[in-house]
Amino acid sequence: MAADRNTGRGARRPSVRRMTNRRMFLTMLFGAVFRRRSRAVMAVIASMVGATTLFCLAAICLAVPQQMSEEMRSYGANLIVTGQSADDGAAGMDEDTVAAVEQEVEAVGDARHAAYRYETVRINSAPYVLAGIDVDEVQALNRHWSVDGDWPSAGQVMVGGDVADAMGLRIGSTVTIGYRSDGADGGAGTDGDGGSGDIVADSAVGSGDTADGDGGSTDAETAGDALSTGSADAETAGDVPSAGSDTVGGQMRDGRVSTDILESDGVAYRVAGILDTGGSEDGIIYATADDVAALAGDRGPDVIEFSSDADGDRLGELVDALNDGPLAVGAQQVSKMTASNQRIVTMLQTLFWLVSIVVLALTLVGVSTTMSSIVSQRRNEIGLRKALGAPSSSVVAEFAVESALYGLIGGLVGAGIGYALARALCVTVFERTLAFSWPLGALAVALGMAIAVVASVPPIRRATRIDPAVVLREE
Amino acid sequence: MLLELDHISKTYGDLNAVDDLSLTVPEGQWLAIVGSSGSGKTTLMNIIGCMDSPSRGSVTLEGRRLEDLNATQLADVRKNVIGLVFQKFYLVPHLTAVENVMVAQYYHSVVDEAQAMEALRRVGLKDRAHHLPGQLSGGEQQRVCIARALINCPKLILADEPTGNLDERNEHIVLDLFRQLHEQGTTIIVVTHDALVASCAQREIMLNHGVLVGERWNDEQARLAYEAAGGRPASTGAQVEGAQHGEAAQAFADPTKAAKTGA
Repeated sequence: MAADRNTGRGARRPSVRRMTNRRMFLTMLFGAVFRRRSRAVMAVIASMVGATTLFCLAAICLAVPQQMSEEMRSYGANLIVTGQSADDGAAGMDEDTVAAVEQEVEAVGDARHAAYRYETVRINSAPYVLAGIDVDEVQALNRHWSVDGDWPSAGQVMVGGDVADAMGLRIGSTVTIGYRSDGADGGAGTDGDGGSGDIVADSAVGSGDTADGDGGSTDAETAGDALSTGSADAETAGDVPSAGSDTVGGQMRDGRVSTDILESDGVAYRVAGILDTGGSEDGIIYATADDVAALAGDRGPDVIEFSSDADGDRLGELVDALNDGPLAVGAQQVSKMTASNQRIVTMLQTLFWLVSIVVLALTLVGVSTTMSSIVSQRRNEIGLRKALGAPSSSVVAEFAVESALYGLIGGLVGAGIGYALARALCVTVFERTLAFSWPLGALAVALGMAIAVVASVPPIRRATRIDPAVVLREE
Repeated sequence: MLLELDHISKTYGDLNAVDDLSLTVPEGQWLAIVGSSGSGKTTLMNIIGCMDSPSRGSVTLEGRRLEDLNATQLADVRKNVIGLVFQKFYLVPHLTAVENVMVAQYYHSVVDEAQAMEALRRVGLKDRAHHLPGQLSGGEQQRVCIARALINCPKLILADEPTGNLDERNEHIVLDLFRQLHEQGTTIIVVTHDALVASCAQREIMLNHGVLVGERWNDEQARLAYEAAGGRPASTGAQVEGAQHGEAAQAFADPTKAAKTGA
């Protein structure tokens, strides 16, 4: 062995030396971590708790705005576009306008939409608003609507809860809806809904009487004919309005105003469902767009509601573009929903950062305390290593890598547990699964390692200052 | 001379742990530093082992003045020149016997498991090479410690109470190992208050409260060779009663020696 002192070292190849010493380094690391499990477990747990919490919070924080956006979109529109034609929208938006608006809205983000055509009708001599809708579109846009029974289909209507209460309607009841439009008398038209003009329509619940297609609307006769189930008399109805009348449905007969307000003609519809939203929708009757067209004539929608993915700013720009653009439409942002959405997301993100900082601090304290304990416990060992000639850099490297290993193990386990927690939360709260995010997992592991190393800096610095003479002194 | 201490003192506040000691040790000598607890033996060993520095005086090891070296250079001297044996062994508890030996290689230069196994074979522990320290007896742990000390072929082995925690059988095993190393030319300095261990050395110096109070040679031929090489007796400048001054070694009586050695 004495001969080796002079010859052995120089004869070895550097590559062999590196490999051998590296293996020894790993052996020492393995021994420190896996043969001193009690302390190692504490350090791993400290890192793991941090990684778990951070991964879980980050996963939820990333998923929630997306989920919320989805959910909010199902809670109605955030953009409303109405027709602004020269005749006050009486004819609704034509197909080209609708297509152009849809194209413009979808250019700034994915969007769902639903078109509404509003007509004022009479039921039991009282005016009501009838909305013609595409059931699938409206259903997709308003998933929060609570419908008892079914959505409307051909020959069936869905009535709002307020309407049902007022008329004592139940599912299966029959309601006779009368329609009469007179663009000249300006009586019972609906404002803001793009109503097609004055309505003179009587109906009798459960009467099964026929519709009275009024000739006031261009296609009213056709509609009346198409939907007549009994004694529809489009021609008679067409005689009714006079351009000079100022009375709703009034007719001048022998110098007196004669009205058809008490007429009970109309088209009978079966009540398929009753809508309960708690809002103004409860005062409206919904029928399919085809049924409304058959009743009141064919024309475009009065309103298109959009639920767009675009954020508040882009939505605002879109509204301005639509209002100022060549299309004869008016756009309005439903700011309440958008702002609420944004506020909740901001709140969640703020909460995430606060909790993250707290967790980060706690993890640092936890790992640092554990590492301090490990360094204290291994004080003699560190003194011995220094007595054997270990430079401080070597001690730093050994403990830093050991800490990083604790962080790695804790980060891996923590990311797994964090994902499980986040997934469980998403399933419970949002009823949706959450895919594992590999970048987030890698980030959690890297963060776990970084935190462990940073937390180990003070104890490692103490370790480098250990005086072997003091540690190994026996007297 | 391998080691030269020139009027070194170490003080802790008002306490003189080592008081103005001068000592030379040639290569190949086996020296025992004896004294009761608190006499400054371990302080002296720490100074010689580059783990502590004297408050005054100069230490020269292998021709290098230690006070001129920085911490890194002192660490280099420790790992290249000195092998340390401790009373409490100080084995790394989570490393096996052979790994503990390889730790010294790791900090010295190159890890070589075959050499480490050979060192363990020399101390009779080849079959216990892969046991953790906790699975070894005290004597076995001390032998691992000796294997670790000799693995890098140091010129000087410093042993602090190497048999202090061992039974008689293991004490003999360890002393036999020191004899073998000495025969191979290794310089050994043993700090002990055990008279039997001290009697195995060629030369003994005795400290009392940090002051050199005596020197004795157990090997006359070694003394003659030492003096022929220009070596002089150890001395102290401390002006206290019983201190050894000047050119003549001052005999001392060790009360424990008669009981253990029958001398």
